[in-house]
Amino acid sequence: MNGLSISTKKKLVIMGRSGAGKTSMRWLIFSNYTANDTRRLGATIDVEHSMVNFMGDLNLNIWDCGGQHKYLDNYLNEQRENIFGNVEVLIYVFDLETTNKESEYQLYDDCLRNLAVFSPTAKVYCLVHKMDKIPEPEQKELTVESYRRALAKRSEMFQPDVFGTSIWDHTLYRAWSRIVYKLVPNMEIIERHLSNFRRLSDATEVVLFERETFLVVCYTAADADVPLDKYMHISQGIKSYRNACVHVQSRFQSVEVSNKFYSMFIEPFTKSTYILVITTDPEVEPAVTKANITAARPHFSDLAR
Amino acid sequence: MNGYGQDGAGPTESGSPGYGSTDKLGEQLAERRVLFMGPPGSGKTSILSVVFEDTVAYDTLGMMPTQQQAAYQMVAGITIYDFPGIDYYSETQYNPPNPAIYEGDYTSLVFVIDSQGDFQNSLATLFSVIRTAQAVNPQLPINIFINKVDSLSEELKQDVHQDMQQQVWKTMRYENLNSAYVQFFLTTIFHDDIREALSRVVQRLVPNHSSLETILNSFCSKSSLDKVFLFDVTTKIYLAMDSSPTDPQIFRFAFETLKAMDDVSQLCIEYLPPSDDGMMSQKVTFDLEGSIRVFVYQVNSYLSLLCVGSTQVIRQKSLLEFNGSKVAKAIRQILPS
Ligand SMILES: Nc1nc2c(ncn2[C@@H]2O[C@H](COP(=O)(O)OP(=O)(O)OP(=O)(O)O)[C@@H](O)[C@H]2O)c(=O)[nH]1
Ligand SMILES: Nc1nc2c(ncn2[C@@H]2O[C@H](COP(=O)(O)OP(=O)(O)OP(=O)(O)O)[C@@H](O)[C@H]2O)c(=O)[nH]1
Ligand SMILES: [Mg+2]
Ligand SMILES: [Mg+2]
Repeated sequence: MNGLSISTKKKLVIMGRSGAGKTSMRWLIFSNYTANDTRRLGATIDVEHSMVNFMGDLNLNIWDCGGQHKYLDNYLNEQRENIFGNVEVLIYVFDLETTNKESEYQLYDDCLRNLAVFSPTAKVYCLVHKMDKIPEPEQKELTVESYRRALAKRSEMFQPDVFGTSIWDHTLYRAWSRIVYKLVPNMEIIERHLSNFRRLSDATEVVLFERETFLVVCYTAADADVPLDKYMHISQGIKSYRNACVHVQSRFQSVEVSNKFYSMFIEPFTKSTYILVITTDPEVEPAVTKANITAARPHFSDLAR
Repeated sequence: MNGYGQDGAGPTESGSPGYGSTDKLGEQLAERRVLFMGPPGSGKTSILSVVFEDTVAYDTLGMMPTQQQAAYQMVAGITIYDFPGIDYYSETQYNPPNPAIYEGDYTSLVFVIDSQGDFQNSLATLFSVIRTAQAVNPQLPINIFINKVDSLSEELKQDVHQDMQQQVWKTMRYENLNSAYVQFFLTTIFHDDIREALSRVVQRLVPNHSSLETILNSFCSKSSLDKVFLFDVTTKIYLAMDSSPTDPQIFRFAFETLKAMDDVSQLCIEYLPPSDDGMMSQKVTFDLEGSIRVFVYQVNSYLSLLCVGSTQVIRQKSLLEFNGSKVAKAIRQILPS
């Protein structure tokens, strides 16, 4: 025992009309369910609380608020302080297939009004959800843009980030990666050490994933222009491979790829993370990269505490 | 360079629906061939585009009826022909193909039936095809794909399977047809099992298949592996496997492993030289808890060995790689690209 370890508990509220997809996304990100499984979900009764340990000391206290009228009324009246107090993050989910946009915005306004009273420093994210229902990419872009404009006007105090999402592709992982990025304590320190590690081990790209969700925590690349989106399909791919491993009564642990042009490792790193390392320098033997990962492990374990 | 159907242009259209009167037609088709036939709308084109062109199953919904026979090229000259739908009862549509196409020791028939459709109609068409085919080639493998089982419950699936099998056998006995080469498969484009069904069909057409199997058996026992597959990595159809008994889950798992391999390699596409032959001596190892290891060893630009074993065994990785490289070389010699 080395003294006090300060554990941070952060309240994250997911709000939106019934059927918007709140519970579906929680299942997809925080458990080993597939998009198909969500079809069996029933409406959430009242509020479903869950505690998720994320990156060592960060504990997310997730409030998944059932969106049927009777519950919503309750949240906005008797329960308002309980629901909107102490909120670190509010995630508002818009079903883009909604038939009544005006009443949707009204509900959103009501929520933000309460948030302004009880948690004025909360961070707000708006997810325009079920984007898979729009087939054309340009149309998708336009839809998110129109929500973005409308929401900016309505919520000057909170300046929400707006993402288009769908449980059927990587967009959900992108949005949630951005959300948790802001929540992890010491993020700048972790990022700096990760990029040091990349330089010291002559690697081309290094990515840190949260261990359970496989969300990207942070990354560093020799080429500074590499976008975060590059890694999103990995979160999705590894999670679906984890599901496949269940069929052989096992659990995914690590993967290693090597060929004439590059080597790549994805392996457990600290207690709460996975690491991905890509090396393209032919002088660097994969075994050396592997040894470097092992050597860095204790250092990062201390950091991410 | 290996002439895959999905390299850009999609399947190549060949032949004409009427066939004219060439008696040598069989010779115009590839020697090693699979003929995809069946009633209109049973799912022939959907199956082939899901497997060969990576089409998302949902995107086949608006598929147009096939007007012209189309060809999908595979490894070792194996070619799959997608035929326009055949309806026995509709005289205008029923334009029987030249019987010569059924000839040859390396020809195989896949007859796709819609499990939700009109069984009697489908069976009448099936028997008319079988009669013609067996007249020229009594040993032609007949693979019946009972398709679109995605909407059936597990129980109903078994019922449909039983029912179909009974009716086919009964009629074949009655008509004195040879049922020794008939096999049934429950299929749907929404499940990866479709690739296993196709693997089983294609395996029999692979050149030197028994030598390949012998090589894989010996590799398996020498390296104490549980299972070895030789995969066509683009279509994820396996061409051969060792002959140890197969757990039905293992194929599904092997397939998912290849998919995960595609996912992770996707990250590094930019690090491959632009004009490469695809042979990069790639080795991939997946480690699972409970001491399972999967090792994927590249044979050439389109074939890979997928080996499943326990961690203890694959720990001697250098030995495994050494054996793997010898096996890969032998396979390259037997199966010229
Ligand atoms: N097409 C599509 N369907 C989705 C998506 N996300 C969720 N759904 C579906 O929407 C339905 C409702 O999802 P839920 O997650 O139960 O909705 P909810 O917001 O939790 O509903 P309440 O608990 O009543 O508030 C389910 O059938 C999901 O499969 C998406 O991104 N695209
Ligand atoms: N539910 C379900 N639908 C399928 C399946 N396979 C194909 N279909 C659908 O069946 C319809 C017809 O599919 P096609 O692939 O065009 O059928 P075909 O046998 O090639 O038809 P022809 O070219 O006219 O002979 C399409 O709408 C497909 O989406 C399946 O396994 N399950
Ligand atoms: Mg819910
Ligand atoms: Mg067709």
